[in-house]
Amino acid sequence: MRNKKILIVDDDPDVLQGMHVRLKANHYDICLAGDTFSAVAEARRSSPDLILLDLGLPAGGGFLVMERLKMIPSLAIIPIIIVSARDGLGNQKRALDAGAKAFLQKPVDDAELLAVIRQALGESVRKDPPTFYDLGRI
Amino acid sequence: MKERALQVLLVEDNAGDVRLLREMFNGEKPGSFELTHLLRMSEAETHLAKGGVDIVLLDMGLPDGHGLDTVRRAHRVAPNIPMIVLTGLDDEALAAEAMKEGAQDYLIKGQIENRALPRALRHAIERHRMQTETDLIRTQQLHFKDQFLSHVSHELRSPLSAIRQFVTILLDGLAGELQPEQHEYMGIVLRNVKQLQAMINDLLEVSRVQAGKLMIEPQCTSISEAIAYAVDTLQGAATAKRIVLSSDAGCQLPSICTDPTRLRQILIILVDNAIKFTPPDGEVKIQARVCENDPSLLVLEVSDSGCGISPDMTERIFERLFQTSDPSLEGRKGLGLGLYICKELVRRQGGQIWAKSTPGQGSVFSVTLPIFSLPALISPAFRKEGRADGPVTLVVTEIGSQSGWLSDEVRAEQSHGVREVLQRCLHSHLDVLLPKMGVAGAVELFFIVAITDAIGGKAISKRIREQLHDHVQQAGLTLSTSYQSIAPAGRHSGESIEAFLEQLASGIQELINAKISSEEDGQCVTKRF
Repeated sequence: MRNKKILIVDDDPDVLQGMHVRLKANHYDICLAGDTFSAVAEARRSSPDLILLDLGLPAGGGFLVMERLKMIPSLAIIPIIIVSARDGLGNQKRALDAGAKAFLQKPVDDAELLAVIRQALGESVRKDPPTFYDLGRI
Repeated sequence: MKERALQVLLVEDNAGDVRLLREMFNGEKPGSFELTHLLRMSEAETHLAKGGVDIVLLDMGLPDGHGLDTVRRAHRVAPNIPMIVLTGLDDEALAAEAMKEGAQDYLIKGQIENRALPRALRHAIERHRMQTETDLIRTQQLHFKDQFLSHVSHELRSPLSAIRQFVTILLDGLAGELQPEQHEYMGIVLRNVKQLQAMINDLLEVSRVQAGKLMIEPQCTSISEAIAYAVDTLQGAATAKRIVLSSDAGCQLPSICTDPTRLRQILIILVDNAIKFTPPDGEVKIQARVCENDPSLLVLEVSDSGCGISPDMTERIFERLFQTSDPSLEGRKGLGLGLYICKELVRRQGGQIWAKSTPGQGSVFSVTLPIFSLPALISPAFRKEGRADGPVTLVVTEIGSQSGWLSDEVRAEQSHGVREVLQRCLHSHLDVLLPKMGVAGAVELFFIVAITDAIGGKAISKRIREQLHDHVQQAGLTLSTSYQSIAPAGRHSGESIEAFLEQLASGIQELINAKISSEEDGQCVTKRF
């Protein structure tokens, strides 16, 4: 089975390198982007299985990347995990509303990051059957 | 430049008083005041709504309004216009109350010295202007502080993020095996990085507390899970100091109504503190039980065998930025914000927190939090009483939850209470209901089943009709059923239970207003929020 490919988008080269090392060690193939424009271009070029996306990016930002990707049908389905240093208040809801799978606050706990990635990659849609609730006699 | 005349609205029904008050303006320069006189509160409300008034002189005894009510009504229509209330000699206490409701000043009729009235008006307007300005500056300052903290924390987090990543990369041997000593030192770096991270979070949290922006989303929460999480997270820190960290929380404990993330946060702060202040080989214990004095509360206790707190400090430790001045308490690191945040989190979830301690023998921190009660939550929805002149409407609500809003166990646990609420609701309407029975169209029964799934809602709706059929026939009632489909509020949508119930209550009202009914079973009205 081929390794899953993850696109990491962050404008901090140190963070990019750190994530690269960590995810490679966990058998993921990695591609990188450092700004809004190259994030979309790299997603087009390498069709990753998942995108780790920073919010504060040059030339637009993470939310713009999400918008752009949504307009390209083949890329719109790629699960996105937001990894941002920004305050979760407000941003988290906005990110989830925009379709992100999760919002992680930097600095990220490695175990948590890996767990969220695994969940986003192996996600299956499950619908519970309705349950009935007996009110009893009134 | 010629100054504009100040527009004064006088609301007073006593002609004698009006004449006296008018005379008080006689000594003023012509054109400095323009007096509009109205007799009734309703007229005043209409006039105020149009705008253009600089100040209101309001009598507190009008034909269509009395006492504080007049002040509230005026304030509601024109919240930004200063107001002076006029009152009799015996009403001074009431006038003082009016100041709390937003009046700038009060004048006692018959005691107003000559020329004092225009001066009082000018002062009130000026005071009001200054107050508005101060409020605005304060809001701007708070906003600026928020922005600043948010910016700073962002800037601090980014480099911290890189440090943490590479430290863990080294620790995990991803860049080659470390010598034991190197491993130990890297461990120290990581511990301090985490501490710095926690401090940045605390700073942000405190700024939120002060700005009233603390996000709390109460829901049905398991206490034992939260305790297990806290033990799991801090076991390492305890073991490092050879401290025995144990918990004693029976699995029969009821769920509580709290934000699960916040509950974990509270526990982590308390347990972390306990470990910090307990010398090696000590003991830290977490316990939970239903409150002896109030069965609607759960008590959570974190006790330690640490150095203890002197009695005069047990309240002060919850103050913001409190730091112990005792030099013997080494190992104390932090901003002194943890317990303050803890107290705010507990307080805003309807609980209390306190500490008891015997110096040298350890401390016990106790927290109370409300036990989750579906009946208590849905009760407010039934308060909409039927009016004596209108048809009686009964509303029965069931909150559905296939999407995991409540677990099956919790629903089973709560079902009895819910049934009681429903019964009480029926019962409390009986005195209105009975005289109207047999009168066609005078009684309507609405059963609103709130459930997430349309098919489920329909089935339940049918079931209720069947169950009630005999009763309804005997009583000669008209029975209508309808249901609402409501996506459960929850973690994902970021809405609180309160918001959910508010929606539910307004939805119910909407349905009642629209008089939605179904002649035959099967016609369902679905409403999604």
